[in-house]
Amino acid sequence: MGRNETAHGSANDVSGDIEEFDPIGTLTLIGIYFVILVLSWVYIYYIEFLGRDLVIVG
Amino acid sequence: MSEAIEGERTFADKFPEEARIVRAALLGSFLALTLGAIFGIIQTLHRTGVFRGLIDSTDYYTSLTAHGVFLALSFTTFFLVGLFTWAVVRSLDRPLINTKITWTWYGLMAAGMTMTGISILAGFVDSIEMSADVLFTFYAPLQAHPMFYAGLAVFIVGSWIAGADYFRTWLAWKREHPDERIPLQTFMVLTTMAMWYIASSAVAASVLIFLLPWSLGLIDQVNPTLTRTLFWFFGHPVVYFWLMPAYLLWYTVLPKIAGGRLFSDPLARVVFVLFLLLSTPVGIHHQYLDPGIAEGFKFISMTNTMFLLLPSLLTAFTVVASVEYGARQRGGSGLLGWLTDLPWRKPEFTGMMLAGLMFAAGGFSGMVNAGMNINYMIHNTIWVPGHFHLTVGTAVALTFMAATYWLWPQITNKPIYSRSVGLFQVVLWFIGMALMSNAMHAQGILGVPRRTAEPEYSGFDYPTMFGGFEELNIQIAIGGTLLFVSTVLFIGNLVLTMGNPKVSGLAETLPPALSGPDDAPRVLDNLRLWVGIAVTLVVLAYMLPLAAIINRGGLLGPGVGTYPVWLSPMLDALANAATALLGAIGDESAALVEVIR
Amino acid sequence: MHIHAYEKLWLAASLLLILFLLGSVTYGAVGPGVAMVTDSEPAIDAGALDEDERFSEPRVEQVGENEYEAYVLAFQFGFQPDPIVVPENSTVTFYVTSRDVIHGFEVVGTNANTMVVPGEVSEITVETDGPAEYGIVCNEYCGAGHHAMEGKLEVVPQSEFDERTNGGDGE
Repeated sequence: MGRNETAHGSANDVSGDIEEFDPIGTLTLIGIYFVILVLSWVYIYYIEFLGRDLVIVG
Repeated sequence: MSEAIEGERTFADKFPEEARIVRAALLGSFLALTLGAIFGIIQTLHRTGVFRGLIDSTDYYTSLTAHGVFLALSFTTFFLVGLFTWAVVRSLDRPLINTKITWTWYGLMAAGMTMTGISILAGFVDSIEMSADVLFTFYAPLQAHPMFYAGLAVFIVGSWIAGADYFRTWLAWKREHPDERIPLQTFMVLTTMAMWYIASSAVAASVLIFLLPWSLGLIDQVNPTLTRTLFWFFGHPVVYFWLMPAYLLWYTVLPKIAGGRLFSDPLARVVFVLFLLLSTPVGIHHQYLDPGIAEGFKFISMTNTMFLLLPSLLTAFTVVASVEYGARQRGGSGLLGWLTDLPWRKPEFTGMMLAGLMFAAGGFSGMVNAGMNINYMIHNTIWVPGHFHLTVGTAVALTFMAATYWLWPQITNKPIYSRSVGLFQVVLWFIGMALMSNAMHAQGILGVPRRTAEPEYSGFDYPTMFGGFEELNIQIAIGGTLLFVSTVLFIGNLVLTMGNPKVSGLAETLPPALSGPDDAPRVLDNLRLWVGIAVTLVVLAYMLPLAAIINRGGLLGPGVGTYPVWLSPMLDALANAATALLGAIGDESAALVEVIR
Repeated sequence: MHIHAYEKLWLAASLLLILFLLGSVTYGAVGPGVAMVTDSEPAIDAGALDEDERFSEPRVEQVGENEYEAYVLAFQFGFQPDPIVVPENSTVTFYVTSRDVIHGFEVVGTNANTMVVPGEVSEITVETDGPAEYGIVCNEYCGAGHHAMEGKLEVVPQSEFDERTNGGDGE
């Protein structure tokens, strides 16, 4: 509990790490999520919503 | 050496009085969770037609009000104040300024929620002349007993004092540490509470100026669109108020549990600042299908709402990257192979990860909700509760439950009774919610309305897609039952934990971020600046719509107020406001005099 | 401020996604012409609907060639007229108001859906296709009998519409 995650200049000893660590797995996962989002949106907006009866036009 | 010994002391050892407050808040939260879950299972079985023997369909709405208020306001807010008290004290490493004040706000919040709760539950008892079957959104002209509104006001005032408590504690710390950055957890607490002050001001105004006087008979009528708009001024940011504590846990606690550390402290700050700025000027997206509000205002609200996706999308990256870092520290390798090197046997880890996964799914239905014209398809259908059972009902609730397995030992010095039951419980919640929420979304697309005791109608049948109406009802009932069982296991586990003896060695520390606060521009910590911009955005987003609404319907509803034609609409609105206010004040003082006599 | 290259990439993708969503909604408004319920109708006195030309007698009225207006009243717990009968392949504008609390007006399984607020009139225009029967539900909680509040929209052939409106007592 004594160590505070932000208060001191503890970033110095780890600042090298951030350049070394490339979260490639995260990029892959989130890329998959992005594709799912876009495809689901295209389906629900352009096919399901605009294909329904009684579209409000005024 | 001294640091090592220090590190073994838990929060309860270091700050016993604060730990007591955190425990009290969490217990209040879990009491609300228990009540909410009981009404939840009654509703699930009633609505789906599986079992309607326990309550009448007219009492369904009493139950629904209780479910909404106990879970959305009481469970979430009590957990939040408990968690925030822990986070402020832990990250500043100093006690609260004056725990008498702390107990005062706790007492006010508890008293307010008790008043509101009694007014709701009295609706089940015919012999008591009291009810508040107005649902969580309490739209006028449906009217609740005055105690419902009064209780809400007291509850909100309590939460305001809680916020002041955190700000004062931070200011005291700042005097002792003039040149240091605000610790991340405290930063998150302060930005969240700043957002809460802005958001809750509208609902407080709505309750104190209109709804409470109206329910007491001091004014005859209110403007339904105005009170509704003031509700949603509060009603959308409140969902971020529920979510921010979950984000705090995902950013600061989850990486540690995964065996790593936060990927980026500066981005976490940016995300919380974005929430402070954008959470409030979006409420009109709940009113896309309201008459009496111009399309332009709706479009502006949609644009703000869509940009509000940004902090959540950034969070997804930062949190997953932090977890990946943890997995790689534990020896994980490969493009996705590291996923198997995570501590999936820990309920706090698996619970939070599953909560995050469901939030990602909720992100999609949220995008649909936010789309202005696609709202025609799902507005007020059961799709909407399907959505928010993924967000508040899982991203928030499951994260809170999971975090409890991690936090509770540190504030009590008692180990969790059964961590394997805990693991089973969080997975069960996920399965139950997957079933229930998926079926709710599907029914919503069929056009099944939300908030109804009997969604089957005599005059027509629903179209069939993604499975028929009846089949989806069964999925909802099974899912809801699993959720109830999961809640019972959670509460049961916690009760048994309280019987455990106190032990030592339960302390946990939180590691610094990979990219620390020194990488964050100083301006991020300038809370005055961000609050100023947030207020400006709110004024810009709401001034014209509110003026237009008051101008159309009058401050106190259609049929009230005069409309002098020689004044411009804005002056007209102001004049209406002034006369109506004066009238209200006059009435009120007359009533007061009467009471005093 | 350090921002990892991947995170910058994700930030750009997120912004694109947001623009894509806003673009879709704008396309829906401009292309297929989906219009929002708006403040087009003036406010109305919910307590004096008996004296209102349109809502004292809820009905469907022909206002032009193949153009119809439906004046619909929502109340605890029903809709008037019930059923609402309109001809096929026509343009129908619904004007919906409430005489008591807030209601919803949702033609089940379609995009016709609006809030109904006392003191306001919701105006929505739709184009009907062939003959069909739709349920109408109130989708905003309006009191203890909320679940019983339903109506019907019948889209019928022109000949049947003429027969029913002439034979009926409305119009």
